[in-house]
Amino acid sequence: MSDAQRFLLTIDGDQQEAAKVAEGSAKRIENKDLKLVELVQSLREFLTDDDATVRAKAIAYITAVLTALSPTTLTRQQIVVIRQFLCDRVEDESGLKEATQGLVALQRMSRFSGEDAVAIATTLFTGAHDLQRHPQGTRFVVLKLLDAIMSDQRDALKGMRGDFVVGVTDLVIGEKDPRNLMIVFSVLRVVIVEWDIVKYTETLFDAVFCYFPITFKPPPGDTYGITAQDLKARLRDCIAASHHFAGHAFPALIDKLDSTSPSVKKDVLQTIAACASNYGPTTISVHSTQLWDSLKFEVFNAQDEDLATETLIGIRAIAVKLSFGLTSAAPQSPLARFLRPITTECNERLREPQQKQARPAGQVLGSLATASPVAFASTIKAVMAPLLTLYQDADGIGKQRALLEVLGQLFESALTVYGLWCSMEGYPIENNPLDAFRDKLFEIFCQALMGTAKEETSFRIVALRGLLRLTKLRRFLADNEIGMVVQYFDEIILEEGLDGRVDLREEAVQALLGISKIKSSLIMDITIPAFMAKLPDSDIDGAINYVSTLEGLAKLGVEREIFEVLMRRLLNKLDVVLQNNSSPAYPKAILSTLHYVLSLRLLEDDPNLQVYYERLVSGLIRKATHPLQGIGNTTALNDEGVLEVMGRLANLIVRSLDAGRQESMVSEIFNLYGSPQEDPLNSLAADASLEQKRTVILSSYLLAGIRREISLPWSESPFLENLMYIASHENAASLRLAILRMISLLVNKWPVYDQSGPADVLKKLTGPENSPEDLTNGGLRVLFWLNKALLLRTSPTSTDYTSFLLDYLKDSKHGRQTARAFAILLADDELLSKSNYAVIRLLHKQRLFTYCLPKIADGFQAASAAVKPNYLVALSNILRHVPSVAITPSLDTLLPLLLQSLDLDDPDVKAATIDTLSVTVSESPQAIASHVSSVIARLLRAANISTGGNPPRVRQSALHCLRLLPGAIKNETLLPFKQQVIRSLIIALDDPKRHVRKEAVDCRARWLRMDEPDED
Amino acid sequence: MSADPLNANPTILSASDLPTRRRRPSSHTNIGAFSAVFSKGINVSSPSSDPFATSPISLSDSDSEDDAIIDRIDEQEIYDLISSISDPEHPLSLGELAVVNLPDIDVRDAPTAPFSTVLVQITPTITHCSLATVIGLGVRVRLEQALPPRFRVDVRIKEGTHSTADQVNKQLNDKERVAAALENGTLMGVLNKMLETCR
Repeated sequence: MSDAQRFLLTIDGDQQEAAKVAEGSAKRIENKDLKLVELVQSLREFLTDDDATVRAKAIAYITAVLTALSPTTLTRQQIVVIRQFLCDRVEDESGLKEATQGLVALQRMSRFSGEDAVAIATTLFTGAHDLQRHPQGTRFVVLKLLDAIMSDQRDALKGMRGDFVVGVTDLVIGEKDPRNLMIVFSVLRVVIVEWDIVKYTETLFDAVFCYFPITFKPPPGDTYGITAQDLKARLRDCIAASHHFAGHAFPALIDKLDSTSPSVKKDVLQTIAACASNYGPTTISVHSTQLWDSLKFEVFNAQDEDLATETLIGIRAIAVKLSFGLTSAAPQSPLARFLRPITTECNERLREPQQKQARPAGQVLGSLATASPVAFASTIKAVMAPLLTLYQDADGIGKQRALLEVLGQLFESALTVYGLWCSMEGYPIENNPLDAFRDKLFEIFCQALMGTAKEETSFRIVALRGLLRLTKLRRFLADNEIGMVVQYFDEIILEEGLDGRVDLREEAVQALLGISKIKSSLIMDITIPAFMAKLPDSDIDGAINYVSTLEGLAKLGVEREIFEVLMRRLLNKLDVVLQNNSSPAYPKAILSTLHYVLSLRLLEDDPNLQVYYERLVSGLIRKATHPLQGIGNTTALNDEGVLEVMGRLANLIVRSLDAGRQESMVSEIFNLYGSPQEDPLNSLAADASLEQKRTVILSSYLLAGIRREISLPWSESPFLENLMYIASHENAASLRLAILRMISLLVNKWPVYDQSGPADVLKKLTGPENSPEDLTNGGLRVLFWLNKALLLRTSPTSTDYTSFLLDYLKDSKHGRQTARAFAILLADDELLSKSNYAVIRLLHKQRLFTYCLPKIADGFQAASAAVKPNYLVALSNILRHVPSVAITPSLDTLLPLLLQSLDLDDPDVKAATIDTLSVTVSESPQAIASHVSSVIARLLRAANISTGGNPPRVRQSALHCLRLLPGAIKNETLLPFKQQVIRSLIIALDDPKRHVRKEAVDCRARWLRMDEPDED
Repeated sequence: MSADPLNANPTILSASDLPTRRRRPSSHTNIGAFSAVFSKGINVSSPSSDPFATSPISLSDSDSEDDAIIDRIDEQEIYDLISSISDPEHPLSLGELAVVNLPDIDVRDAPTAPFSTVLVQITPTITHCSLATVIGLGVRVRLEQALPPRFRVDVRIKEGTHSTADQVNKQLNDKERVAAALENGTLMGVLNKMLETCR
């Protein structure tokens, strides 16, 4: 059997086998064992078969062989022969696809020439006319072939001139398939750009524009991934490809602008902008006035912010194009002719600055002014003087405000054109036309900010933003003027902070922050001293205004140079404050300020880290511990809260130190507490003073910052056991928390401290002679914190602990506390965190949840009524930390428990449960759908104040959850409850709490709207 | 919708200048307004501090969680309910167009009496605005849906701001005519569109 016969036999059943056969043939041709001509001849009987499918298969064989051949095998002559042969087959309609595929394979041969390309093109244009009768797949191959020869043999094809243009246009006419259109558009674009199309402009334009606007929507489950956006973009490239189209395109586009569909409008506007950017300035100047006349309607009567923005982009694109090559705006230049009617019209509309159309007028001016320095100059020249006159004559602050906004917009344009002070780009040749108005503008804005009634906040904010832009504008204001602005901003922050004008104050802070990036010396010379001078030496007289001053400093201190100054001065201030016996709140605020700034910086690479360590860690610790060793008196630094902040600050710095530094630090730092060689537990000895005990707070923060590879100087087991013992007996909450955290940190980060198991620990805590019932709350806490540490790193022992603790839920004495304590396990802890090198495995939350859920569900079933709630409380304490994706698979088990939880009296459990429900409603509504009746009834009960036991936040979140149901769940399912919900919500409409009423109103509106047909 | 708006260029108020329920400086001013910097620093006792404490996690110390403090329904609340309704012909709210204004709202909230009342007077953007009735109806529908039934709602055109104010007022406050209007599908469509933007 010949290869040909074998191919024909296998092609239908086993395509791979067929391909192998063809590859074999190709090999033999490459080895000269077989001649291509012979191969074709061997097919003769099939090629003349009466059955069209047999003929097609024969061609397919040739194609497969050609595809398998290396590109260099065929001689020039062989290519010509095969090309002629295949071109003849193109006429045989039933074999069009196969023959074309053969040609696709042929054209990648290295000796394929321009002459072949021209012959193929001619054949396609004459032989494959009426292409649309063929199925999509065939058309696709034909277009692929066209695309391929166009990219490789373009010059030869260009020699066909007009014939090619006409041929292509005829060939693709009527194409509708999106996959094919993607190729058609790119083919046409090449023709439009590279061929001489003057004579065929109209034909080509029609061939392209008939597709505009594209309204294609991919069918559901579409696998080709072609979006309407892709098609729109390619079509737009065609329309914008040649200025010859301008005379047809602009009138047609303007015509389509009347469409009522926003998406069509958007497409039109984007296409106009693309044309304006691609056509030449001369072409655009012909159409610019006509375009403005149509586009202005879209800005001034915009129904939609998005469309207005697109329009502005289009208008700007015209101005950019007309600015091309201009260095000054001669009155007769096309740009000047374009701008003149626009600025006149905008000036007109700005006469009533509070009316609706004034704002768009300002936006038009603002975007035109960014087009080029020349456009900026022309715009300013035309509008600035009238604007200033209007401002002078404006009666009422509303009008003034609107005008300031327009001016502010022009400043923004100036920033685009002339750049910021620190800008690296070249300064435009033209001088800034605003220079002529500098003094006037500066005066107006300063006056508006500082000279108006203080409560006109929104007006002053507009003025402040304008001033900020002027200060940033390159080579505009002098340094002493900027200094004046800085003083104004200082004044606003320092003097006006406390009486409610928070917005203005925040703007001023942000503005100073902006200025600190371009002129940091002004901030250091003016702002920092002014702020420091405001800080009192003590708060004994009840002064509290230091808080706002410190807050300002905190926000401004981020630049490194500024922080250096700030740290030095604040530490000096701290000494003074401590000497003057301030209350702890003041030092706490000073330390918080430093902490805030440091927390915003990347400390690891900071060259000054060592300085921070010496001053803010060792320095401060020394100050706090010296009095404990009999040096000086205790101060506010020995206060619990201050130690907490100090610890936080130290932690931030310590954890940024590298391992080497930490190594030496460990011994050094803990020695600060007392005589060398002592461990921090000495401070916790029974006879220690309260101040001494409190240093454990610092220890916990320091320990948290230490890297895992550092070995700790304390002997493992007695140390941890001591800690556990002290923790279970300590009564002061803050000290206890610090010790518990230390236990957790040790066990989590240093496996040498790992624990044997819950039973052993319990024995140690209760004493060997006592039974588990003698466990105290203190002991329970220790068990939970131990488990937290193990759980985070998914240690196998953790499961023992969890199951041990779950057992306590049915205990009548400890059950309630145990249930609450489950909140400890997954709650984020500030110290036990990734940035403190704790081992936190990705899936630990999911693991705990999947382990506990069945046990809780079973325990709940089996438990007596008195302890049932414990299981629900424990569940809710776990659930609130578990990501919703992890919950979804267990919803069947979970939902009944959740619904029971809503019947409990505990508001925390209720709130947490409703949160879980809300997430479930949004993410797996189908799970809720089958319980919808009980969900609605319970939510309505939780939303009702008279049911009792529902604090405002429970009522509010119940209403919120209820609001999520319509839309998430099918209307058919909800409709039976609609009347009941709407009626019951009347009670919530009269809730004593305003925020609950608000939620009720929204919820009710959603349910009322439920069965309306959707907009689209 | 007709192509040319009746009043293409109305005066508008800046959204930031509309009356709002400004957060009054709270009782603990010392740290009240300072969120970002000190919230963490000053509230030192950490989140999960101790679930054992007898009154578990105190709900919140703020007024918003204390049911003993009753927020009365006041003018501002009514304003908030209706100022975000869209105008039927501009993409702007009734508040921004100054169609509804805080001083033109009057609330008598008397929880113990059989009735409480709300009076809203609206100011059409131009005196011959034919959409005044639609706007009034929108305000009425919104209030009836959002207020407890003990409130009697009265919506009228502010005196001297409309050429046919009496007629409009009659329509707006005649129960049967309102009910009939709400049966009209096209009108309901317009109303729903207006109410869609309610925040």
